[in-house]
Amino acid sequence: MKAPAAKLFRPDLLPGLISFIGLLLVWKAISLFFLPTFLPAPMELVGRVVNLLSQSRAYLVIGKTLERVLIGLILSMLIGILVGLVMGRRRVVEGFLDSWIMVLLTFPAISWAFLAVLWFGISEIAPIFTIVLIVFPYVTMNVWEGTKAVDKALIDMARVFKANRALLLRKVLIPQLMPYIFSSLRISFALSWKIALVSEAFGVGRGVGKELTYWFQSTRADMMLAWGVSFMLIMVFIDVTLLRWWERRTFSWRQIPVA
Amino acid sequence: MSAKAVVIKNLTKKFANPGGVGEFTVIDSISLEVERGAFASIVGPSGCGKSTLLNIVAGIEPYDSGQVQVHSAGGTSNSTARIGYVFQSPRLLNWLSVEDNIKFALEAQSIDKKRWNGQVKKYLELVGLSGQELNYPLKLSGGMQQRVAISRALAIEPDILLMDEPFSHLDEITARKMRVDLTEILQKARPTILFVTHSLREAVFLSEEVYMMSLKPARIFKHVRVDIPRPRQPEDPRLFDLEKNLVQEFFAVLEQNLR
Repeated sequence: MKAPAAKLFRPDLLPGLISFIGLLLVWKAISLFFLPTFLPAPMELVGRVVNLLSQSRAYLVIGKTLERVLIGLILSMLIGILVGLVMGRRRVVEGFLDSWIMVLLTFPAISWAFLAVLWFGISEIAPIFTIVLIVFPYVTMNVWEGTKAVDKALIDMARVFKANRALLLRKVLIPQLMPYIFSSLRISFALSWKIALVSEAFGVGRGVGKELTYWFQSTRADMMLAWGVSFMLIMVFIDVTLLRWWERRTFSWRQIPVA
Repeated sequence: MSAKAVVIKNLTKKFANPGGVGEFTVIDSISLEVERGAFASIVGPSGCGKSTLLNIVAGIEPYDSGQVQVHSAGGTSNSTARIGYVFQSPRLLNWLSVEDNIKFALEAQSIDKKRWNGQVKKYLELVGLSGQELNYPLKLSGGMQQRVAISRALAIEPDILLMDEPFSHLDEITARKMRVDLTEILQKARPTILFVTHSLREAVFLSEEVYMMSLKPARIFKHVRVDIPRPRQPEDPRLFDLEKNLVQEFFAVLEQNLR
């Protein structure tokens, strides 16, 4: 059976559309009073972004930043899941660590970026260190919370059948934590790339953050916006394609039961 | 045929009072034996401690005094005995296919990987679910999910199969069909079963041995052999007569309990 053709007029989308067009108009109106390098008009910015993304150099820079984001993200997820899981399963560890996780969560994020440069200098370690220290406590919090929601009946089932710890973890615990792991993955990804830019602004030879400082020192707001928007587009693209696809695949077992 | 699969001697179990002060006796000096290949039922009112008793036999609940032995076909040690358990609810791992749910139990029991496919095929066929190997539990009806749970428990070829009111969550028509099917399955698989129920009708229809349990604390006050030959018909008047007599005894004891 063919799906009916999508309706062209969707009343539910109207408010969003009006606000979007409204914003563009206001933006355009304000930009008339300033130099394009201080505040570019919407179409001028689009032009800069297109221009930027058509140069191969942009991809080298973005690729370098993306590399740091991914390394930081993967480390944060691994550490976060491990710590969260152990805290959820072992009372003693929970008692040892819970206040430290709270401390890390409340510690001002920007301080890490500065400290990392002081401690590690201009190196690859600084941005990754910054990402991990800010992001992993969020992952830990999420997974820790997830372990409280684990179905005890299934753990008993696994014990009766004499499942060892590795099997219990692989087939019983981790699958139940997947919703928590995925929600922290998406938050962590968004956090990681924003932190990466801040951290790169302080050090590092090449990266999107470095471009931002360069254009800031040249007082070129248009180019700062262009870099910001370009990087954002690529990150959002990864989020809505790769991450959502993976999430859908992982939860395919959750289909509505056939009555 | 006289080998014992389960021997329970003077088993006593106490729980802490909900208020925290003192403890009360849940199971009071229970003794029972299940012969290898036999179907034994424990019948008692809801909340009398039947499930607790099964959990003790399964090794997931500690007890205070007495002896609980589960004999494997070879040795006599509790830790090597294979225990199959069918719970009130199916307790399947919903993120694994039907096949992988059964393989989970096989892996937990360290059964040779080469035998997995054969066991899955054999025991799914036995419960009438051939062809559902790759389906996911949430796509199956409640009755079918419970069949998967039964085949998971049978697939490990347990020394004792524990069943805790396995049909109580199903509608009466499905439950009735499942009981008849279970007796047919047993003709082929011949496991030793310790079955817990609150329904005397279910117990007399299914079992060779019926243990009747009183309430608070749980004691076994009567042990009956059901000598009606198999295959039995659910409408067999001899079953009704036996049930009627036992129900009367039950009420006599329960009234004493309440006095």
